[in-house]
Amino acid sequence: MAGVLQGEVLLPEQIADLLGLEGALGAAVGALIGAFVVGNVMLAFTGVAGPWAKRKITAAFTDRIAVNRIGPFGLFIIIADSVRLLSKELIIPDGADRPSYDLAPLILPASAMLGFAVIPMGSLGPFNIQLADPEAGLALVFAFASIASISLVMGGYASNNKYSLMGGLRAVAQNIAYEIPLIVTAMSVVVFTGSLQLSTIVAEQSTTLVSIAGVSIPAWFAFVNPFAFVLFLVANMAEIGRNPFDIPEAPTEIVAGYQTEYSSVYFVLFYLGEFLHVFLGGAIMATIFLGGPAGPVLPGFVWFVIKIWAFFLFTQWARSALPRVRIDQLIEIGWKGMLVLSFANLVLTAIIVGVIA
Amino acid sequence: MSWLAIGALALVGIAIPLAMIVVSALLRPAVPESGKKTTYESGEIPTGSGRVQLNIQYYMVALLFVVFDIETVMVFPWAVMYRSALEAGVPLSQALLPLLAFIGILVVGLVWAWRVGAVQWTRSIRAATQKTERQNT
Repeated sequence: MAGVLQGEVLLPEQIADLLGLEGALGAAVGALIGAFVVGNVMLAFTGVAGPWAKRKITAAFTDRIAVNRIGPFGLFIIIADSVRLLSKELIIPDGADRPSYDLAPLILPASAMLGFAVIPMGSLGPFNIQLADPEAGLALVFAFASIASISLVMGGYASNNKYSLMGGLRAVAQNIAYEIPLIVTAMSVVVFTGSLQLSTIVAEQSTTLVSIAGVSIPAWFAFVNPFAFVLFLVANMAEIGRNPFDIPEAPTEIVAGYQTEYSSVYFVLFYLGEFLHVFLGGAIMATIFLGGPAGPVLPGFVWFVIKIWAFFLFTQWARSALPRVRIDQLIEIGWKGMLVLSFANLVLTAIIVGVIA
Repeated sequence: MSWLAIGALALVGIAIPLAMIVVSALLRPAVPESGKKTTYESGEIPTGSGRVQLNIQYYMVALLFVVFDIETVMVFPWAVMYRSALEAGVPLSQALLPLLAFIGILVVGLVWAWRVGAVQWTRSIRAATQKTERQNT
């Protein structure tokens, strides 16, 4: 059962083979080209999501018409907006803590992009789009994703603004409250797979759970353990700081949180990093609960893209439909509710697996 | 090999934001004025430093996190081993009971933190009295 995808050649090696390069040079060139492609694909997704899809979706939810003036469906707003934002004046506030003020907007998108290195994105034509497949893949992807909160607290502290400082601290309080339920719930999936390697986790989900009237339902962990799926979904929304857990920004309470004093390209980078994090969150969800790139007819990569965009749509739906929780509610939901439930889930999963096996 | 690809993506992940910063530096104007540089405080003139005193709660939950974070790290190897150990014939009492005991100890810790009020958001005395006044009226 395990190891269907194991031993499959990854993208860097395929590129090296295609170019006819061998040895260390081939590996380095293949890795660089592969990383460049993956990085730019994710950048393109955020480019579409940020200036265009987000507005269109919110407009549809609130019964308005959004961007529709430039290009077909208003799509060229992406170009117009990126030029507009990049050509804004950069204003650095008095008393800003310089090195960390400048580093914070670099770290956020970099950490989010790094997470995609180990995500199996399925095949597209002859290519198997996954940059790396280390044995500790799941631990790595969580580690990369949580670097983000360092960036937020750096930006918040360095801005020399009370709102920013509060936003940064809220980001940390939120991240640490939901990190543990997130990882413990993921552990309940690892109990089934017995491996942290993401390709193995995906392969484990390719078996058939039940067949109903000739339609076979795959053993995606969302179907095997729906309770864990819901827990993970909630913890993931908090981890990436989307509504109803967007208290680090909370525009009606603390102006714009950690990004209050950021303008021009630095603001763009924060914005970009946030969207990359939403997609990374969707990619983690898809990989460990929704069968990764699995799906009928269409190539794997297309299914992977559909799944992460579905998660993006879900976050935008939550943004339009759910009120924001307060900071005290957030701490209590995290430490009193989610933590207890995630432990209960882990123990129950362990007992059920132990009794059946 | 896999670390090479991860390192390459880290490089790309830093290079793309840097490229954007360079492009922006070429495009954007610079019209410095003293008024622009003041920090935003709802339109008022900022008072004091931006680095103010904070709610003690942030410190409390961070302390609690250290304990539970180490604990989740400890659960990792158990979760990886569990199923293969059972399949290899290790009895359930040896494979599962240690984890239950381990989580049990942590639950005791959580109950303590809960009762002490470490996971309860602390209110300032002023906010608490304001609330009671509002309830009384």
